[in-house]
Amino acid sequence: MLREIRHYAGVYLRFMSTCFAAASTYRLHFVLLIIMDQLFYLSMLGSVDFLYNNVPKIGDWGRDQFMFFVAFSLAIDHLHMSFISESFWEFSYDIRTGKLDFILLRPLNTLFSVFARQIRPATLVNFVTPWGVLIYFGLRLGLDGWAWVAVFPLVILGLLLLTSIEILLSMLMFWTVESMGINFLRIQLQTISRWPDFIYQGFAKRFFTLVMPVLLIGSAPVYFLLDHSRWAGLFAMGGALLMSWLLIAFFWRLGLKAYESASS
Amino acid sequence: MASAQLAKWWATIRISWNKQLSYKLNFLLLVIGPSVVFFFVKYSLWTAIFRLEGIDKIQGYDLSNMLRYQIWSLIVALVAQGYNSMNLAEDIRMGRISAYLVYPFDFWSFQTAGFISFQGLQLVTASVTLLFMFGLGFLQHLHVPDLISGLAFSLVVSFFWYQVSYLIGLAAFWLEETWVLRVMFITISQFFSGAILPLEAYPKYLLNMLAWTPFPYLTYTPVKIFMGEYTGSLSQAWLTLLAWMVVVGLLNRLVWQRGLRLYTAAGM
Repeated sequence: MLREIRHYAGVYLRFMSTCFAAASTYRLHFVLLIIMDQLFYLSMLGSVDFLYNNVPKIGDWGRDQFMFFVAFSLAIDHLHMSFISESFWEFSYDIRTGKLDFILLRPLNTLFSVFARQIRPATLVNFVTPWGVLIYFGLRLGLDGWAWVAVFPLVILGLLLLTSIEILLSMLMFWTVESMGINFLRIQLQTISRWPDFIYQGFAKRFFTLVMPVLLIGSAPVYFLLDHSRWAGLFAMGGALLMSWLLIAFFWRLGLKAYESASS
Repeated sequence: MASAQLAKWWATIRISWNKQLSYKLNFLLLVIGPSVVFFFVKYSLWTAIFRLEGIDKIQGYDLSNMLRYQIWSLIVALVAQGYNSMNLAEDIRMGRISAYLVYPFDFWSFQTAGFISFQGLQLVTASVTLLFMFGLGFLQHLHVPDLISGLAFSLVVSFFWYQVSYLIGLAAFWLEETWVLRVMFITISQFFSGAILPLEAYPKYLLNMLAWTPFPYLTYTPVKIFMGEYTGSLSQAWLTLLAWMVVVGLLNRLVWQRGLRLYTAAGM
């Protein structure tokens, strides 16, 4: 087991080093990615800030709570964009062109090979804004010691759930010929998850909590961080994670049967 | 001569129309999906703000007025802000524009014909959405002169959007990937155009600065024209947008000429 973990860690390090080498080749692209991410962070934070210039409260949350939630979502987004996001675009390309054949032949877990392969160094170096804002508003809210200990693991939990839902969704790419739309659908789900669940109502809220549980990603951890008695959402996240991976295992096998292997 | 030229345009528009409809699910998710989801989030957000807080008015908007603003903002997004230059950049990078350098139908004409067919599809989508909203009772009455005026302005915005997308696509002469520039443009324009919050909610100093940029004219102005509530000078809005179109048009020419000097016709 330990040997296997060491093996995969070694492979991942190699993935990282090739991504850093590629990023240093296209320097202008690297700089533009940094600017793009910063613009995105500022537009999200700016929108909520302008909103609170006009309203004192939304639901139970004042400016600080809402900004903390946005920063928490951006921290998940930062890790997601750095370590995961790029792989989905590649996966779509690999299926369409048949490049997946070569990945299937590697002596590695194929899901690991597909979804851990691409890392975006430019976004990785952009950590100051989302994490800085998260810490700033955490301090303003006076988070207790337990909350500070839990922040990073909960960001990781949110990231795991988001990634699992997206991997499950990306299984559709085996059946659609052109998969750009599936990737756009993924991005739309991220957009929905970047707002707290109390802004949604009725069927939409139930659907995005129970069926496609993207509203748990940011809301459940932040509720817990602000009020430790609200831990039920974290269990729901665990359940959603488990269910996602059972479905991924099922649809992955089904998808591979449907895969037409365009290059062979 | 003119009719031969027209026939080329018509044939290209038809081919492009069919191409875009070949992957219908993809078109739905790629072009219509983002606008609809963006609308859904804003609709939920504003409904929650008004309902949870029991607020009557924010910057002169009551709930129904704010929802009308967001519905028209969806229509403007569908009519004017859907085009992207993905294929254009790929054509340049993969060396596929070589053919257009010798064809009797140049690259700009080919891309513009593609844009026109895309625009046709978008107009159909926007009309269906509008009828749907009207049928559901979200829009009580449609005032025809405002509708015509708003549509005319939105079509000009749409051409401006295309010009900027074309310019971004041309950056492929220098850049490996141009999608970063496209995302930057969309992020900035969503934030500064009043697509998320009506511009009345923005600080005064920012509005004064924005008046010189094309951004307020991309969403806020056409939405207010559709609503029949535009209080600014309409001629100034037209002039500012047209001036920006001239600037971007000239830039397109310049960048194309400079880019061609660098073009290596990859794969030839």
